[in-house]
Amino acid sequence: MKLNKFYANFKLKCLYIILVLIELSDSKAEVPRPRGVALSRAPLYDPDTNFTCFDGSKTIPYNQVNDDYCDCEDSSDEPGTSACAGGSFYCLNAGYKPSILKSDRVNDGICDCCDGSDEYSGRKTCVNNCQEMGKAAREEAFRLAELLKVGKQLRAELSQEGLKMKNEKQQKLGELQKHKEEAEKIKSEREELKKKAEEVEGKALEYYKELEEQYKKQRAEKEAEKLQQEAVENFKKLDSNQDGLVEIAELQSRQSFDRDRNGEVSEEEAKLFLNNQESVDLETFIEKSWPLMKPFVKIDSGMFKPPETTSEAESEDLQDQEEELKVEFGESEHEEGGEEDEDEDNEKEEQPEEHEEEEHYITYDEETQKLVDLASEARNHYSEAEKDVRSINDQIRDLEQSLKKDFGPDEEFASLEGQCFDYTDHEYVYKLCPFEKSLQIPKSSSSETNLGRWSKWDGPNNNPYEIMLYEHGQNCWNGPNRSTRVKLSCGAESKVTSVSEPNRCEYAFEFQTPAACREVSSAEGKDGDLHDEL
Amino acid sequence: MARWSLLLGICFINIVLAVDKNNFKTCEQSSFCRRLRKYQAGDSVYQADLSSLQITENAIEVGIQNTQVANANLKLTLTAIVGNVFRVSVDEIDGLFPRYKPQFALNGEPQVAKLEVLQRDQDSVTVKSENNKATLTAKPLKLEFYRDDVLVTILNGKGLFAFEHYRTKPDEGATDPQIQDDPGAWEENFKTHHDTKPRGPSAIAGDFTFPNAQRVYGLPEHGDHLALRTTQQNNLDPYRLYNLDVFEYELDSTMAIYGAVPIVYAHSAEHTVGVFWHNAAETWVDIKNSKDINVVSSLVNLVSGSKTEASVDVRFMSESGIMDFFVLTGPKPKDVIKQYASLTGVHGLPQLFSLAYHQCRWNYNDQDDVTTVVANFDNNNLPVDVMWLDIEYTDAKKYFTWDPIKFSNPEIMVNNLTSTGRKLVVIIDPHIKREGGYFLHEDALKYDFYVKNHDGSVYEGWCWPGSSSYLDFYDPKTVDYYKKLYALENFKGTTHDVWIWNDMNEPSVFNGPEVTMPKDCVHHGGWEHRDVHNEYGLVHTIGTYQGLRLRSPNKRPFILTRGHFAGSQRFAAVWTGDNEAKWSHLTASFPMCLSEALGGISFCGADVGGFFNNPDIELLQRWYQAGIWLPFFRAHAHIDTKRREPYLFSDDVVNRIRTALRLRYVHLPLWYTLFWEHETKGEPVIRPLFYHYPDDENVLDIDNTALIGHSVLAHPVTEPGETSVDVYLPGGKNGYWYDIQDFQLYHGGNHKISVDLDKHVAFYRGGSIIPRKDRPRRSSAVMHHDPFSLYIALDDKQKASGTLYLDDYESFDYKNEKRYTYLNFDFSNNKFTSSLIDKATYPTEEWIEKIVILGPPAGITGAKLTSKTLGTINLETSYDKESKSLTIRKPGASVLEPFTIELV
Repeated sequence: MKLNKFYANFKLKCLYIILVLIELSDSKAEVPRPRGVALSRAPLYDPDTNFTCFDGSKTIPYNQVNDDYCDCEDSSDEPGTSACAGGSFYCLNAGYKPSILKSDRVNDGICDCCDGSDEYSGRKTCVNNCQEMGKAAREEAFRLAELLKVGKQLRAELSQEGLKMKNEKQQKLGELQKHKEEAEKIKSEREELKKKAEEVEGKALEYYKELEEQYKKQRAEKEAEKLQQEAVENFKKLDSNQDGLVEIAELQSRQSFDRDRNGEVSEEEAKLFLNNQESVDLETFIEKSWPLMKPFVKIDSGMFKPPETTSEAESEDLQDQEEELKVEFGESEHEEGGEEDEDEDNEKEEQPEEHEEEEHYITYDEETQKLVDLASEARNHYSEAEKDVRSINDQIRDLEQSLKKDFGPDEEFASLEGQCFDYTDHEYVYKLCPFEKSLQIPKSSSSETNLGRWSKWDGPNNNPYEIMLYEHGQNCWNGPNRSTRVKLSCGAESKVTSVSEPNRCEYAFEFQTPAACREVSSAEGKDGDLHDEL
Repeated sequence: MARWSLLLGICFINIVLAVDKNNFKTCEQSSFCRRLRKYQAGDSVYQADLSSLQITENAIEVGIQNTQVANANLKLTLTAIVGNVFRVSVDEIDGLFPRYKPQFALNGEPQVAKLEVLQRDQDSVTVKSENNKATLTAKPLKLEFYRDDVLVTILNGKGLFAFEHYRTKPDEGATDPQIQDDPGAWEENFKTHHDTKPRGPSAIAGDFTFPNAQRVYGLPEHGDHLALRTTQQNNLDPYRLYNLDVFEYELDSTMAIYGAVPIVYAHSAEHTVGVFWHNAAETWVDIKNSKDINVVSSLVNLVSGSKTEASVDVRFMSESGIMDFFVLTGPKPKDVIKQYASLTGVHGLPQLFSLAYHQCRWNYNDQDDVTTVVANFDNNNLPVDVMWLDIEYTDAKKYFTWDPIKFSNPEIMVNNLTSTGRKLVVIIDPHIKREGGYFLHEDALKYDFYVKNHDGSVYEGWCWPGSSSYLDFYDPKTVDYYKKLYALENFKGTTHDVWIWNDMNEPSVFNGPEVTMPKDCVHHGGWEHRDVHNEYGLVHTIGTYQGLRLRSPNKRPFILTRGHFAGSQRFAAVWTGDNEAKWSHLTASFPMCLSEALGGISFCGADVGGFFNNPDIELLQRWYQAGIWLPFFRAHAHIDTKRREPYLFSDDVVNRIRTALRLRYVHLPLWYTLFWEHETKGEPVIRPLFYHYPDDENVLDIDNTALIGHSVLAHPVTEPGETSVDVYLPGGKNGYWYDIQDFQLYHGGNHKISVDLDKHVAFYRGGSIIPRKDRPRRSSAVMHHDPFSLYIALDDKQKASGTLYLDDYESFDYKNEKRYTYLNFDFSNNKFTSSLIDKATYPTEEWIEKIVILGPPAGITGAKLTSKTLGTINLETSYDKESKSLTIRKPGASVLEPFTIELV
């Protein structure tokens, strides 16, 4: 750590010394060289001999170097003009760092070098602001170094915390795995007991099964009768001219059949209900028409809600009811899973109203009831054991998943998991929950839009931990699934600093965190090729 | 995005995948088209009353009667116009209502010419003016037009002339022989829309026969081929001219889209003749080309050895207005196009930046986005001149305002752009948000600036802002107010470098009939929208043009418009609207813009990449390679598409697009010179092959190839996975064409050119001298002082010539103070000569840095330059064996001084 700090300071000092040296050398003994040529390349331009293009393709008189005509295909004869399309221009930028421009920036009326050396045509006057830029750059470098210093400290702490968390998780995992064995043992014991109890119960219940079948059949018959009765009633209602046929015109007068809701019942719409005929008689009506019509008539009379509007909760309730009925007949446990077991136990006493009266007439004799009770008890015991196993498995799975996540080379990002960071702009609140998801919530409502679930680190090779990618968020209308790229940078505290949407439904977050405070391995900057110039 | 989805969902609820044709009328669904199309060829019921003939120095006037209808008296005036043009107007005498004549298409009243009566008898009269002659026959009415004594066109030759005078509504049960009880004559329904038609039927039709014509061109704007097709067969509806915002318009279609230019050119090897139908109402045009009709008989003739006469019939049908048309007698394509330009005008020389590359997207999100995009272009050495902002820059779709959050500091954004020579274009549409507190809406209500319903109340339609009303540019006080909105103190955040995009000005009304304004709406002067519809986009851009002149008096305005009409070229550039990222739309961009160019609108382009959907990477590259050869060069994309700025792709793609962009930029001097010549000579900037090769039958149907001036032939690759393309080069074996990339020589004829992704299929014509600026720069503004390179493409006689125009590239000084330089270049007998065409000069530092001769003479060892200031100096030359080209090194001469260079 200390070594790093020393190195950073050393680099800064070196840069400063070099800059000072350049300034000195610049003012005292300038190496004569053509305009736009770096010091290191000066020897390649010898005014006393002809000039040979760097690629060796051509030799020209020296006075054709920088004569504003491009002779060399590799652009080497025009380092100081814009004559060659592929050339480059070197600015010394004394006081700041040198830069290399494309030659098309030379004399284009725009000051590109801070020393203004790229604009020498006389048409444009540039102010030399290298000193200010140098100063600002040094201050910025200093600020960054300071930030890095603080940030690294924090990062180390985060890293320790992360490692600790990892240890704890591993430990917990070990414990759970032990518990799991035990729990599974209990589970299989109880399963055995349950099986035995159910065998006995099953035999006792065979008689009742038959009763049940009969009952079901009766119920089905009743329902069919009811449906037919309904159909007949409605047939009479619809057959307004009482001719024993329901006709198109008779349907058209009823808004209930306006399927496309355009305000009128077209012939097509009417025919759809009439078995594609002009009219139907009672028999066809009962068989074909009424089953189609029923929902529409019911919607209108408010008795029926179309399935879309049935909320999930309601349909679950219905399921529950059915399952409860099955439990009563002791069938439930032959199915696997049965996730709602717990609720069933609680709600068992409060029977659903509608079917109740008809359901309750089967009762067991005392002995059978006892066997049933015993079996139920065995089932309950078993399901508890099973729940334990499941709960342990869930915990193991969560832990394993978390342990699988890449929280950085030193676990420094681990403590970000489980936290969320908000960013508010004029319209939305954005939430970044690292390693989990990103969200967008309109200020005016609380409906969340998922902008992506944690996918992977997606930074460049030299620093994969620079970008977090969240994918497979909510689908965009007429577009892709939402996704978020989070760019990390070093900061003294963890926060989201900006959110944008550069592409439709592709979000870009910027996130500062001490966890990102580290020096990235070199081969990063584009200035790299300038070092040899110094 | 959620908000967008919602709004789009509302707007396009039933138009999701492609054009919904049901939203737009067919001829059969349009009462007047249906009525007029029922006419059968035969004897016309119209007669001229020669006893009423009046003759003046420039015109004759005669009464016309419909022999089937009493008291429907018409008056026909035939006027001679300077430049071999006849104008014919037919109007009612004492009609119930005045009939509309377009007010803005013509570039001032055409100059009349002397006319003399050659012959006159009981049944006919013949007049002559310049090289034209016209014979009017009385019974039945017929007008024949002659050029140099050759009959070139006939009005009412088929007896299909029609003129429905305004009439009172007949009593119930009474029949009207002319209207034939068409149920839509007195009121008309389309879908849920009702047209009250308070003035009843008023349609007109003119039928024109063009003897010997092989093809007929014109009638932009359609998503169709250049040569017009026969409409009365294969269920093809007439070409419809009715400016409409058609969502995802379809190709190979005669359906109306955004623009209407009612000009046709009938072409044969001998004669090219134009008819300009000067009418702004909904118009349908039936085309009948004998070559399409006579397929069977021509087979018979082939056997029998006889040949049927070629001929073309064109019938214009308009819903209202006076009948007013011009006959342009050519005789060659060049002449007829110039005649049309003399009537409707030209696009004034644009600022150079507008010919460079434009980068658009719906939408750049905010001011930082704009700045970043330009920085990315710079970092990748991709040139760009103009950034564009679509509707989202406004504060909730209120034009002349900025989104206070996303564009909180427009001045800074604009200054960032202009510091590197860039410009900004922002959108201003004609619909105005009806929102309390919005100054423009409140002023418009207070001062009565809006278009009205037929009952006099303000018309409300639905557009981007939701409920909107539409400025009535027919009211001078509206225009006076509107143009002041562009003043920098009124449109805060803009500068003299911000220019304007006028969109949605068909006008587009999301909930209106056919997505436009109801025809019974009323404009200032009592004109129904029916009368003026196709002209609305034009008056919108005139207001904008005046506003920009007022704001920046010495800068040439740049305006882009979608809705357009004859004459729009005087005020704005045009693009082909909301195209799609499909190969077929890339292909269509050439015939569509060539057609516009023939219609006077040279400054035309198509959205590079395609507006809707995402182009694949090959299509995008090919589109850049093609787009550089259309005058207006802008990339644009729909809000639902992925970003596609060229720097976003892999290096090879960026390199290819950079090559294309640079090809555009090196040729900017050529484009600029061509626009100068467009303004001064009326010549189109891009031209179909038949323009220069009128008697070459091979080129009649070629519309995938454009000539840029007469120097460059461009044939873009418009098919995926192509390894070769078939190109026809005109001029026969003496025609020389040089590949612009490797300078390889091709002779006229059919060629199969192999292509890879890097290949541009484009040629310099042997015989031309092309001025270029070969130094790549980041924008055109910073190329101002760069030297020129001249490419001399020699013809079979070792000759070539060309021109170069230059000035300050932005102001009106070239016009007001004659500050420009116009050069003629000539090469013959191994000697190059640069001379000034006009005495005018623009004091520039620009000079000639290089001359490249393609197909040079053998044995050249050097060159001698002679000019007044330089005297005679020797220049080096070098010959490149591979490209067979000779380069003259650094002439160094200023463009201001004449000089010669002799090869030795």
